[in-house]
Amino acid sequence: MKKLLLILVILLVVAGVAFAAGQKEKEESYLLPDDVKAQGTVTFWHAMSGSKTAIVDGYAEEFMKRHPEITIDAVYSGSYAETVTKGLAAIKAGKPPVLLMSYEVGTQTMIDSGAIIPVHTLNKGEINFDDVTGPIAKYYSVNGKLNSMPFNSSTAMLYYNKDLFKAAGLDPDKPPTTFDEVYEYSKKIMDAGLSSGGISFGWPAWIFEQMHAYHNEFYANNENGRSGKRASEVMFNGKLGVQVLTEWQKWAKDGVLAYGGRTYKANDPFIAGEFAMLVQSTSSLAGIIKSADFEVGTAFLPHLPGYEKGNSVIGGASIWLLKGHSNEVNAAAWKFLQYLFEEENAVAWHKGTGYFPVNSKAYGILMNEGWFDKEPRFRTAFDQILGGSDSKAASGVLLGNFVEIRDIMGAAIEDAVVNMKDPKTVLDEAKVRCDRVLSDYISTVE
Amino acid sequence: MQTTFKSSKWLPYLLLSPSVIIVFIFFIIPSAESLFYSFFRLNITGTRKIFVGFGNFIRLFQDPEYIESLFRSFMFTVIVVVVGLSVSLGIAMIANNKMKFFNVYRTLLIWPYALSPAITGMIWALMFNPTIGVISNILHNLFGVSFNFINNSSHAMIFIIVAAVWKMLGYNIIFFLSGLQGVPAELIEAAIIDGANPWKRFRHIILPLISPTTFFLLVMNTLYAFFQQFGLLHVVTEGGPGRATDLLVYKLYRDGFISMNTGYASAQSIILLIIVAAITLFQFKSAKKSVFYGT
Repeated sequence: MKKLLLILVILLVVAGVAFAAGQKEKEESYLLPDDVKAQGTVTFWHAMSGSKTAIVDGYAEEFMKRHPEITIDAVYSGSYAETVTKGLAAIKAGKPPVLLMSYEVGTQTMIDSGAIIPVHTLNKGEINFDDVTGPIAKYYSVNGKLNSMPFNSSTAMLYYNKDLFKAAGLDPDKPPTTFDEVYEYSKKIMDAGLSSGGISFGWPAWIFEQMHAYHNEFYANNENGRSGKRASEVMFNGKLGVQVLTEWQKWAKDGVLAYGGRTYKANDPFIAGEFAMLVQSTSSLAGIIKSADFEVGTAFLPHLPGYEKGNSVIGGASIWLLKGHSNEVNAAAWKFLQYLFEEENAVAWHKGTGYFPVNSKAYGILMNEGWFDKEPRFRTAFDQILGGSDSKAASGVLLGNFVEIRDIMGAAIEDAVVNMKDPKTVLDEAKVRCDRVLSDYISTVE
Repeated sequence: MQTTFKSSKWLPYLLLSPSVIIVFIFFIIPSAESLFYSFFRLNITGTRKIFVGFGNFIRLFQDPEYIESLFRSFMFTVIVVVVGLSVSLGIAMIANNKMKFFNVYRTLLIWPYALSPAITGMIWALMFNPTIGVISNILHNLFGVSFNFINNSSHAMIFIIVAAVWKMLGYNIIFFLSGLQGVPAELIEAAIIDGANPWKRFRHIILPLISPTTFFLLVMNTLYAFFQQFGLLHVVTEGGPGRATDLLVYKLYRDGFISMNTGYASAQSIILLIIVAAITLFQFKSAKKSVFYGT
């Protein structure tokens, strides 16, 4: 037995050394020639589930009809985190897809990955980047340049059940605007026995980030990582962060906050009328209106008094072009990105989902159609984001390995609102973890 | 005609080679890779490596989250094994009685095992869904318990234990049944004549005679509880709420594939490898004393 173990250990070490010797670093330079013919198969890994998959597939089909020499192979690859993970694994394995959708938290990581072709280098005037909707361009631009093509952009807002508001004697056209009002209205509805809870969140860690931008507070140092230097420290355990989490905990203790998981799980109980309000991504709007049998109201995010006015941040995802393919395929992929950016497609995408149109010209079309008069709820998010400030704190945070930081914060928030640990302690501990993630990250990229 | 078989020095190696090659490709090489990576910190695409020595291991044991996860995993394993084996032995004893449609029952009993852990998770998550789940509604209406595995840590833990036990039930029952059928009827009859009550018959005759089966199941269930919970956790709780159901395998997945800390996760996989080796070794050592293989 001992001999066998020894042999095994020796084998492992030998194989490990052999493996180390086989490792080499690869670097590629990139240039798209003028006379290149766009053709070939463009694989596109995305994270658009449910009815959104059908819309994306529809785009691909329509595009292929126009360009029979190009095949778009659009593949639904699971959740945002799964899609990014699969993409990075494929990059490691040397077989990357041509186009990869990454959610907003992947932005810094993708830029540093060395595996991408920044879209601004492809542009020879086919797209006027000034047409990209302002706040979206701002969020995805690093040092003023777009590295990926924004596609599905959203922000967070408040959804509420107008029927429950009416039944509790509240004015259904006066949604709560402050944290205190959220609590007060929830209590009223719960005391009337109309629902078991008051409010819930989708993507709580993202909402926590939103709260910082919304109150014009930095989430991380170096101006949220946008000053030209990468963020090396998070700042969410300050006064605002603690106050927000303390409020949430109070809500949870009194049954006002019905915690609903880290992504979209809170949507179903909201639709079932278990609580009256939901803070969720605007991208759920079309789905919620369709499934709810009550009148759905939409409103700005509630705020805390005593802070400056900031803005809600862009969430959602953008599309990245990955290295490792022929010029023909890259050109074809660029054509497809242009196609997705066309006004009509941006309009259809907005109507079908609730996401912002990424092309600002789409607003003109929507206005002329009278879309917002007919569907005022689709307007709420615009009003919120266009009415906010455009300070640095409000344009969203860029962090290395943000995926892990999101996960740490997801657990930290659960510790506060489910396991009832002290908010300040939870945030201090989370900060230590997040700072280490950042310093590890910086050590591997700089 | 007699075939002569010339023994060659190389033939045994040749015949062994397919399995050796498979072990190499699927076990030795990946393990070696993990061992190698466990001494490095890598960037997200794996193109840059920084040698950190035993830094990853040291950090692991300084990380309260990891230590908690370690204890949680051991607790989970003990509960799942004890509860799982007891319940399935009980069911197997009942099913071992002579009755009609015995074969039908036996087939039905093994069904849960045929499901993948992820499917098990989906089924249980639907049944226990706090809003629309059948069982959570029954619990609420009959007993006034609002079972919610999304926002209650203990409920989440109970939930995955129950689901994990259920998943392995069929497998255990089938093995126990075959073990029970190997117990000679005349021994039991003799014991009855001697006046042994059912408990004594179970304790002193049946249990020792099925001990090889029990031991085999003990090893299989320990490995199952310790290592095969990923699908279930991923579908149902994702380790939450907080880190309430964050078992070692899930933490490894999170660190390796969500946070992309290849080095840190590799260190965890090496420790996991050591743990499994230790558990198995310990069980074989202690088995010599208490397992009765007959004379």
